[in-house]
Amino acid sequence: MNAETLEAEPTVEAPVADDGVISDLYNDPFPIYRRLRETAPVHWVPAIGRYLVVGFSAIHTIDHDPETFTANEEGSLMIRAMGHSMLRKDDPEHAEERKALGSVLKPKAIKTVWNEVFQCNYERYLKDFIAEAEPDTVDGQKVLRADFHTGFAEPYAAENLREIIGFKNATWQDIRRWSQDMINATGNYADDPEIWDLGKKAFDEVDDAIDEVIPSLDENTLLAHMISAGMPIHSVRANIKMTIGGGFNEPRDAMGTTLWALLERPDQLAQVRQTGAKGWERAFDESVRWVAPIGMYSRQTTKETVLEGIRLPAGAKLGVNVGAANRDPAQFENPEEFDINREQKPHLGFGAGTHYCAGAWVARAQVARVGLPQIDAQLPGLARDPEREPRAGGWVFRGMLSVPVTWQCN
Amino acid sequence: MPRITYHQPQGSQQTIELDEPAPLMQTALRNGVPGIVGECGGQAMCATCHVYVREDYLDQLPEKSEDEEEMLEEVASPFDERRSRLGCQITIGEDLEEIEVDVPESQV
Ligand code: HEM
Ligand code: FES
Repeated sequence: MNAETLEAEPTVEAPVADDGVISDLYNDPFPIYRRLRETAPVHWVPAIGRYLVVGFSAIHTIDHDPETFTANEEGSLMIRAMGHSMLRKDDPEHAEERKALGSVLKPKAIKTVWNEVFQCNYERYLKDFIAEAEPDTVDGQKVLRADFHTGFAEPYAAENLREIIGFKNATWQDIRRWSQDMINATGNYADDPEIWDLGKKAFDEVDDAIDEVIPSLDENTLLAHMISAGMPIHSVRANIKMTIGGGFNEPRDAMGTTLWALLERPDQLAQVRQTGAKGWERAFDESVRWVAPIGMYSRQTTKETVLEGIRLPAGAKLGVNVGAANRDPAQFENPEEFDINREQKPHLGFGAGTHYCAGAWVARAQVARVGLPQIDAQLPGLARDPEREPRAGGWVFRGMLSVPVTWQCN
Repeated sequence: MPRITYHQPQGSQQTIELDEPAPLMQTALRNGVPGIVGECGGQAMCATCHVYVREDYLDQLPEKSEDEEEMLEEVASPFDERRSRLGCQITIGEDLEEIEVDVPESQV
């Protein structure tokens, strides 16, 4: 269905969400999403100056109609914070840049190049994780305890991305800091000058690191492919920054969410262990549906239109809330549940249409093929730490902040 | 008029006539044909537009590109060396006027 066929239905204005909504979203957005979804698929939210789109079929329409819903948003903070990447362009300009990524993030390269890199990083950061764990006794049993999120998922995901991009002149900690500082700038609606300063510093450091490494690039890397495809340097810079913002937090967060969900649901964990590779992939994909690591992305209308019966003026800024749409009961039965056995249906956690995540295969490989199955097999009695609470946070980006676990010493 | 017939695994079928040349995947999405997802919008990136082309049309198909071959290795339903194709990589109404395909059980 496209926007025009919907115009035959009666058209109404979007309901207005009260300002309290936004401040409450950080801790647990899902009850609020449910409330919003129950009244309308689209709401005007004055606090952020955007229409929040929370219905699955509304977002499906948006993602497959880029002529009405452009990614090239006016006054985009992302463009200010990271430069003008492909994620803020429409086709054909977008397609040309996306093509320059070549085969770097695709299944064949994963099999021939990246799986080995992920394996190496897995072994290295598992060793650190174990070495830094605290010994303790729980119920008379000697255990080691650590935070899976900061102790393993974070260095592992950052190091993988560092190598994929080709930054042999940076560390995983650089990736983490650049990513966080540029993401903060992208969300700096309050115009906090300190956040802009940190963002600008990261921006300049990334440019310097790119300039420094270009003369000695390894052939399989993203940077090497972009340069050899003839992408202009300002686009290389913007696309690398966007990839730093979009290729680290997300696999890290999906890894923590998947593990946490399974440790809380021993029957599903047992089933995953029994099913092997397919089971881990299923759990990973369900976690990306259940808690979408990128909860919201932006689009803007190019003309007045009607979306699911709701009028949107020309130039309306939209918050495409896939975190909410992924729990739309019109698409998924018992949407609030994490359930690897649910009827398999497409979700929007990787986006859809022309901006569909370029790193989806890479994320799946590092999390579900290499990282999680091995960590589960190698840490005997891996369990939730009974004495510490896991924490999750965020809504534009959402994920675990802490995943405290224990395992037995041997 | 160019046309595409989609056969569902349960036996029902749907024939779509085209006003202008269009790929199998996009035509399915526009006309609400179930079982074809097309998550990546036709970039040979997601492997969710898998179809099995019926025998009569196999020799008229364009060659598979390297990108298509790579994605076909990742499809969710069984891969058929001869009949499996990506719906986003086959356009009807240019060289090929008509086609019939079987939609697989699952795309995800
Ligand atoms: C679980 C992990 C991940 C999730 C949930 C995720 C999610 C997404 C989403 C929702 C989009 C579309 C945003 C929009 O349409 O505005 C996107 C785009 C993108 N992602 Fe990912 N991502 C993940 C991992 C990765 C990784 C590991 C990389 C790189 C190595 C990556 C690279 C990209 C790129 C380059 C785009 C832009 C594509 C375009 O504009 O055509 N992503 N991702
Ligand atoms: S639509 Fe994604 S591969 Fe065809």
